Amino acid sequence: MQTHGVDSSSPVTHSHWRRGALRAVLLPSAIALAIWPLSAWLAPANIVMLFLLGVLVIAYYCNRSAGVIAAVLSVALFDFLYVPPLFSFAVNDIQYLLTFAVMLTVALTIGHLTSALRRRADDAEQRVAERAALFELAARLTGSMTRDMCADAVGNFLRDQLQGRCTVLTPDDNGHLHPLRGTTGYLLTQAEQAVAQATYDQATGFDARELGHDDGERVLLALRGATRRRGVLVVAAEESAAPLAGRIELLRAVADLLATALERIHYVEVAAQSDLTVRDERLRGRILAALSHDVRTPLTSIFGLAEAIARSPQLTDPGLRQTAQALQDQAMRLNTMVSNVLDMARLQSGTVRLRREWQPLEEVVGASLRHSEAAIGGHQVELQLPADLPLLHIDAVLMERVLSNLLENAAKYSPTGSRIRLAARDDGDVIEITVDDDGPGFAAGRESELFELFERGVSEGSVSGMGIGLAICKTIVEAHGGSISAERVPPAARDDIALHGARLTIRLPRGTPPAVDAEPEEQP
Amino acid sequence: MKSTSLTFTQTLLLVEDDAQIRRFLRQSMESEGFNVREVATLADGLVDAGTARPDLVVLDLSLPDGDGKQFVQELRSWSQVPVLVLSARSAEAEKIAALEAGADDYLTKPFSTGELLARVRALLRRAATMRDGEPATVHFGDVEVDRSRRLVTRAGQPVHLTDIEYRILLCLLANADRVVTQRHLLTEVWGQAYLERGHYLRIHISHLRQKLEQDSARPRFILTETGVGYRFMPPANAPD
Repeated sequence: MQTHGVDSSSPVTHSHWRRGALRAVLLPSAIALAIWPLSAWLAPANIVMLFLLGVLVIAYYCNRSAGVIAAVLSVALFDFLYVPPLFSFAVNDIQYLLTFAVMLTVALTIGHLTSALRRRADDAEQRVAERAALFELAARLTGSMTRDMCADAVGNFLRDQLQGRCTVLTPDDNGHLHPLRGTTGYLLTQAEQAVAQATYDQATGFDARELGHDDGERVLLALRGATRRRGVLVVAAEESAAPLAGRIELLRAVADLLATALERIHYVEVAAQSDLTVRDERLRGRILAALSHDVRTPLTSIFGLAEAIARSPQLTDPGLRQTAQALQDQAMRLNTMVSNVLDMARLQSGTVRLRREWQPLEEVVGASLRHSEAAIGGHQVELQLPADLPLLHIDAVLMERVLSNLLENAAKYSPTGSRIRLAARDDGDVIEITVDDDGPGFAAGRESELFELFERGVSEGSVSGMGIGLAICKTIVEAHGGSISAERVPPAARDDIALHGARLTIRLPRGTPPAVDAEPEEQP
Repeated sequence: MKSTSLTFTQTLLLVEDDAQIRRFLRQSMESEGFNVREVATLADGLVDAGTARPDLVVLDLSLPDGDGKQFVQELRSWSQVPVLVLSARSAEAEKIAALEAGADDYLTKPFSTGELLARVRALLRRAATMRDGEPATVHFGDVEVDRSRRLVTRAGQPVHLTDIEYRILLCLLANADRVVTQRHLLTEVWGQAYLERGHYLRIHISHLRQKLEQDSARPRFILTETGVGYRFMPPANAPD
């Protein structure tokens, strides 16, 4: 089988060559002996034909050099035994020299063509066998449920087809390569491990590399998946085996099949993981909904019962009435807190989907003002909304929460009776909404911390704060593709308005508002 | 108008599973002169609505024994009694479903009893108006809408409304004190094909407010129920 890749240095092909040479000597000799008794009846031309037949047989079954030996030997035997004078290489008839020349040429040509044909047939046969084996490998890889099964399949293939051993290295979460369990057919040296790691780390570059080694050949192949590298395959061949250098294409095919299989397993794992996550989040959503209901029911009772006391005509003690009202306020505040915490959990768990629609900002602002009436009633709210402000692509319910939170925050952190300004402007790509108050502003340098959970700007005790309010604003605004920031605006930088407190700025992408068909004007 | 000028006692049916909520609601409703019946489940609620014939139903949407929307649908198949639903915040879909099934108004828990009573009175008054027939002319603020003449004036001056604005206004006036869902308005004014064009509605509402409200950013009559729809609040019915 190893007639291709003739390599005299290899012991296998060396013995093979000697066997061929021996046959190349024996067969023409046997022919010469067999013809001897019949030589009287056979024409010299037919004797030549019989010798040529021998060369053909040798060239077909042995190799090309055996064919050459057989050709030369056949000419010599013909001359020695059948051309007068017999038993001498001398030639009486000078014409025989032409016969010898033609016979040698024909014999050599036959030998060459035949062995070439034979080699091509062998190659084709081997390729068919390899293809069948590759098919089988592909089938086994497709059926493999684990990475180790993949590596086993590849190991078996390389052992049967190339007499090679292999190790499959796959990366861990940090990108470090490790041999797959049970597939360490070949133990890598530290240097080889380093080369393998470098091969994996390089996003581009070679995908097969030969490593020189004392006791055989090593080939290292990157496993290229569709999206990224999936590992490295190291193949080692013993010195006695056929060289791997000529089989790189086959090895690449194997590496590609293996990479595809590893990638498939990777995505199966990812899918299983995300399925788990989805179920997890559904559960979380249900828990949040139940919690929200269970907490609100007693809160509704507390609020309503306190209100019942406060409204009761029998209650004449003004102190008690105040207590009942305070109870109501506290219940409402607890409700705001619970709502914020639950909404934050819901937003963060990803169970909330934005219901974005094109909204006029004025309407959302109006709804926020009405919703927060109780909390901001003690302040004067100035609105600066340009009449030509475009529609915003927002979830109105969530954006109302943002504006309510900002307005309530502004009211909470500024003196009663002071002004709050809500302004908007069209900045080309961005719509900017600002809420200014006339309070003390934020501590300098801590503006971005404000939006972290449970962070409060000022550490005063008299005003209750809920850092989660701003954290929710940030989450909602960012879900809309916008940003929110806080700053303390010095009085000098203020233009027309003498507010010198905190400024919160929301920036929302402007988007492309839909065209609205003009309505035909009709007189009423 | 504010105090109950009722000559006979009206009956309210309270469908709510929490005993404490029922307690303070009953207390405040009775102190307002209403006759109160209470049940804890939807099934009992339907039976009671059929036998006691209440003048109004207050329905908690998060009852353990079923779907508030179905309750409203079944009730609506044989009764036009006003229904006020109570629901949790951030449950817009639930509110919309109940409103589209035929509920008249909603309140978000926790709610002020004063607000609830104001809504109850408004719905009862509305029911009475429906029985007696609506007047052709409606006043709110300095605006007068004469439906018989299709004439809208503000401080005595005629206000020009486009056809669509006028149709929206008519729909809101016809449903005064009720929450009208966005879907309802779109279907009524434009037709089914426009259900996906909520922004048309919002733009025209904004124009209406500019023409009829003192401050379009702080509307007093044409109110937004964010995520649900709109409500026309007649001047007499502001909460306590």
